Amino acid sequence: MHHIRARHWIGILLSLLAYAGVTTGAAEAHPHVWVTMTTELLYAPDGSVTGVRHAWTFDDMFSAYATMGIPAATKGHFTREELRPLAQVNVDSLKEYAYFTYAWINGRREKKAFNDPVDYWLDYDPGKTVLTLHFTLPFKAPVPGKQLRIEVYDPEFFIDFQFADQNPVKLVGAPALCAVWTDKPHDDNFLTAQSLNRSFIPSEANVGMGMSFANKIMVQCP
Amino acid sequence: MTGAARIRLAVWAVLIITITLGAHPAWSQLGPFGGPRPPAIGGVAGWVLAEQAVFYRALSGSIRLAKSDGSALWTLMGISFVYGIFHAAGPGHGKAVISSYLFANDETWRRGVTLSFVSAVMQSLTAILIVGVGAVLLGATAKLMGDTVKDIEIVSYGLIVLLGARLLWVKGYGFFGALNKLGTDSASRAAGLERHAHNDTNCHHHHDRDHAHGFRCDKVHHADDVSQHDDRHCHDHHDGEELDVLPWGHAHGPEPEELAGPGGWHRGLSALVAVGLRPCSGAIIVLVFALAQGLFWAGVASTFVMGLGTAITVGTIATLAVSAKALAKRVAHKPTGYGGLVVRGVEFGAAGLVFAFGILLLTGYMASERMGLF
Repeated sequence: MHHIRARHWIGILLSLLAYAGVTTGAAEAHPHVWVTMTTELLYAPDGSVTGVRHAWTFDDMFSAYATMGIPAATKGHFTREELRPLAQVNVDSLKEYAYFTYAWINGRREKKAFNDPVDYWLDYDPGKTVLTLHFTLPFKAPVPGKQLRIEVYDPEFFIDFQFADQNPVKLVGAPALCAVWTDKPHDDNFLTAQSLNRSFIPSEANVGMGMSFANKIMVQCP
Repeated sequence: MTGAARIRLAVWAVLIITITLGAHPAWSQLGPFGGPRPPAIGGVAGWVLAEQAVFYRALSGSIRLAKSDGSALWTLMGISFVYGIFHAAGPGHGKAVISSYLFANDETWRRGVTLSFVSAVMQSLTAILIVGVGAVLLGATAKLMGDTVKDIEIVSYGLIVLLGARLLWVKGYGFFGALNKLGTDSASRAAGLERHAHNDTNCHHHHDRDHAHGFRCDKVHHADDVSQHDDRHCHDHHDGEELDVLPWGHAHGPEPEELAGPGGWHRGLSALVAVGLRPCSGAIIVLVFALAQGLFWAGVASTFVMGLGTAITVGTIATLAVSAKALAKRVAHKPTGYGGLVVRGVEFGAAGLVFAFGILLLTGYMASERMGLF
């Protein structure tokens, strides 16, 4: 009787695992919005970083969705002025998600590193029918520029962020000899180095990063 | 002996429920520290993801192309179909609710598959209705549409909570009833009455047909004396139903009254509405894009074809849930009361999952899809 019972348990456990495996099985990821982005890091003359300037271009389907119902003087063309209310909605709702931008300062992830965005507006490209959201996130206090890491991702993966193919990251007003790396989750080559000088140490760049969908920017200044 | 067995049983029950909960995407999604965990890339997930991105882009491409080239509509339908299959593998689309619901109940695979298909069609219809009324007739903005979807979501999640609560009530009654009964059973066995150890779950699902109300029946059954085993009652319906549980069982299909009666469709209807009410965000975006391109009807057709693909994925998972349940029951169909108790415990656990999904979705801890952000 005992061995029969043991078989029950094994059978039930197996069937449960099968069930759990089936419902879990497939991907959790479920993006509906694709964003191609370029990012600029803004430096003060003293070499500290004052903010992050984003330009996020949405995919054409989402751009159509986002612009529906918005009156335009010329059909299919939206001016910056016509898109102003939408830009406001965008930055307002992004606040809840911390602008999907996470700063690591001195090796620590700062939860509230940024003030509310400034200089924000939307552009519409009538040729490609895509929207681009521009906004600048000022750091609450200027961050020492020696070592900084910025990550951009949606933890729930409703939005798929990707760096632009060319020049995704720019350092604006940075001291000489700063090095920047970008790490794209979509790349086959896990790490791509976009170096401003030759003296960087690549081995430091890929230590301990868990966010598998995060687009990472790492900057090192002398 | 009885005490030790009972403790072991309790340990197993807790373990099994923990495994089920722990392995479930809805729970593991919360991550180790309660916060959202970024999804892992690679493996099947990474592949589905990559494919989904490719198809999503092909979708917009073929809608664009269809403006000048009518034959691109066929491409669009093909892509929509495949995208629907892939897309439904992600969270949402009622997979978790439907499969847990099926697991908690004794449903036939036919009903599981039908439930999946009808809910997918319903999701398509809701999406078309929202875009049709909102964007085409009223000229609504994305914000307004997002808010509308949010309201519908709250209703849908509320219904899932109610569905889960009802299941918990019914299945809890069965589980704790069986637990009590087992206590009496063990006592009588200790007195040397081994032959009474009939597994009451053998009969459990046939009552629906006989009495039409599953819940009331459970009650009636538990009021039964342990030694009073109604042979005719159990064995008459046993074979047909058991075979019908699995798709490869070549027995007759479900009787019409089984599907249509108060214990039939009525029961599945609540799950159907709860799941089917919520439109797929992907379909809404495709519809709006098609509208912007002046091809709304192509968008409508694409939405339905996408729904068909979704139904195939959800239906497959529903079939597996039904099969897993049937397997668990079959394994437990041994002349010991414990197996039956475990099945009831698992049903109770699955009912708890439906309830938990509803609560998590309603409170926003589990994001299914997000609209109206930008």
